[in-house]
Amino acid sequence: MLTELIGMAFDSLRANKFRSLLTMLGVIIGAGTLVAVLSLGNALQGQVFEQFVDLGTRRIAVTPGDPRAKGARDVPGYGLLSLQDYQVLNTLVSNHPDIFRAIAPEITVNTRVRAGAVSLQTLLVGTSADYPQVQRTPMLHGRFLTPADEAEGARVGVLGWLVARDLFGADKAALRDVIGQTVEINGQPIEIVGIINENGGPFSTDSRIFTPVSTMRLRLIGDLDLPGRGLRMSSILLGLQSEKQVDEAVALIERTLRAARNVPDGAINDFNLQTPTQALNVLAGISTAITGFIAVVAGISLVVGGIGIMNIMLVAVTERTREIGVRKALGASDGDVLGQFVMEAVALSLVGSLIGVIGAIGIVWLISTFSGINTGISWIGIILALTFASAIGVGFGYYPARRAALLPPIEALRYE
Amino acid sequence: MTEYIGRPIVELRNIRKTFPTGDGEFVALDDISLTIEEGEMVAIMGPSGSGKSTLMTIIGLLDNPTSGEYILDGMDVSRLSRHEQAHIRNRKLGFVFQNFNLLPRLTAQKNVELPLVYGRVSARERAERARAALEAVGLGHKRDSLPNTLSGGQKQRVAIARALVHDPAIILADEPTGALDTRTGAEILALFRQLNRDQGRTIIIVTHDPEIGRHMDRVIGLRDGRLVDNILSEYYGVEVLEEVERSHGLEPVPVPVVRRPTEEAA
Repeated sequence: MLTELIGMAFDSLRANKFRSLLTMLGVIIGAGTLVAVLSLGNALQGQVFEQFVDLGTRRIAVTPGDPRAKGARDVPGYGLLSLQDYQVLNTLVSNHPDIFRAIAPEITVNTRVRAGAVSLQTLLVGTSADYPQVQRTPMLHGRFLTPADEAEGARVGVLGWLVARDLFGADKAALRDVIGQTVEINGQPIEIVGIINENGGPFSTDSRIFTPVSTMRLRLIGDLDLPGRGLRMSSILLGLQSEKQVDEAVALIERTLRAARNVPDGAINDFNLQTPTQALNVLAGISTAITGFIAVVAGISLVVGGIGIMNIMLVAVTERTREIGVRKALGASDGDVLGQFVMEAVALSLVGSLIGVIGAIGIVWLISTFSGINTGISWIGIILALTFASAIGVGFGYYPARRAALLPPIEALRYE
Repeated sequence: MTEYIGRPIVELRNIRKTFPTGDGEFVALDDISLTIEEGEMVAIMGPSGSGKSTLMTIIGLLDNPTSGEYILDGMDVSRLSRHEQAHIRNRKLGFVFQNFNLLPRLTAQKNVELPLVYGRVSARERAERARAALEAVGLGHKRDSLPNTLSGGQKQRVAIARALVHDPAIILADEPTGALDTRTGAEILALFRQLNRDQGRTIIIVTHDPEIGRHMDRVIGLRDGRLVDNILSEYYGVEVLEEVERSHGLEPVPVPVVRRPTEEAA
């Protein structure tokens, strides 16, 4: 019987092609939008994530605690990080090679750099040769800092992309000649040994200059020590073996630092841990919210399409009252007639959503071809669009179909 | 097989059908009792408003009587649910309408298959039986035609094929020649007679046309919701001779004395 009902439904759609198409328009747009938005949303989310993946997702940053935070203690130098903390964590890292991959300090100072007649304000970052293990440093030219640089306190520096561009121009090939040249930081000459290519994401290297900690302390900035605790640090970055170990690593770091810094039980941490999951969750949350919002709009359009289908089905029931009477006289039960009209509404919405899905695939393909964004098609979107459309067909087709089914056969037969 | 002749197929007992109206009930059928036997070809006749259409909807199970009993093919069908009614219509009844009522988007073949679709007959058997039914009405060559390419007579033949494809107990035809010219109408009537004679079909034709009535085995007359005898005579303006009851023996009939006015004057 089902085969016959499906056949009847499609016969009827074919009989009124243009009207069927107009009726489906709402569903076509709704389903198309749903699939396109979910597909593009996926791709955009994927693009954002790509920047965090690898180093970004396998890194925990220890930053100073907020002295204004509720529960912060009134202790001089509260929350600041120092060489002591770095050393404690360094030991932790070497004791747990299965969890930690590397550790690197960041000592950040706002300073002025000058090359010839050009000078600009930028961030000078003192770090170690291990820095590339905790942050992406795609080199445009030259090399990053080496252990030798550190040991010697060599007068060398590595420029971020924006710093290099502002000082020497945007021609990437020409920047090759900059390697070996000297810039002046705090009146001190520093040889450029490397330039890092464009590099987004958090802790971006783009507007920074990197130099060994030793160079910074001995030659450029001078005394940055905290009383009795050694060199003051802006942040300490710890690289993890895997993003699955974030929770384990956080627990280890908290325990170690609290012990080293004598944080009493019950007091809040006097330091902050920035975990990749936080950033990822926030980003995922935002993009999910946007995608969800547009999906809801698409859903509303599907519902509006459903109302259109209901409208046309009510017209169809009136138009075909006689047909209904004839079918009943020939032995169609109320259920048969109900099934026929519900199936017709489902066919309308399902065919509409299929057209929408195909259109969306085309649009997504065009966008990915011409924008270079690598988009896959969201299977969830397609399944969602098709199931939602069928549900709408049943939901909005039921009422008109019931009206058809409950028509008394004699009245239907006599209807002119 | 002795039972074959004279087996009642439609038995109505004290059927009453009323419709509520603004001022009380309208009695469409008042205490109708009748029997139609298997293999009969009868007409239900009466002027408009006589209740013949209502009687047909009740025999055709398109409506329930207000009271009374209806036995169809040995089964009491007086009080059926809508679903059971649909089932019995599908099994026992074949309908032929005045305006054919073929579904315009379906070919002749598919139109004829419809009762079998609702009877849940397999596609292959449907095709086979519909083809046989169309051949029986002489339209085997028009199987794939759409109704709007057929003449009126051909349409009615398709409708008749559709009415007998599922081998019903009775075929109910409502003014089957009403939309046809005289000649085509006569052909359709001849087809009914042929089906009745060759296949033993029970055929009930509702009509107001006395020419059809004359060709039937029997005419059931209706007037104001009641059965009347010899309805045909009304159409032809013939006085019916009263049958005199003879059971009590002969009695002298008083002869009226006719006086002539001339005698009176004299």
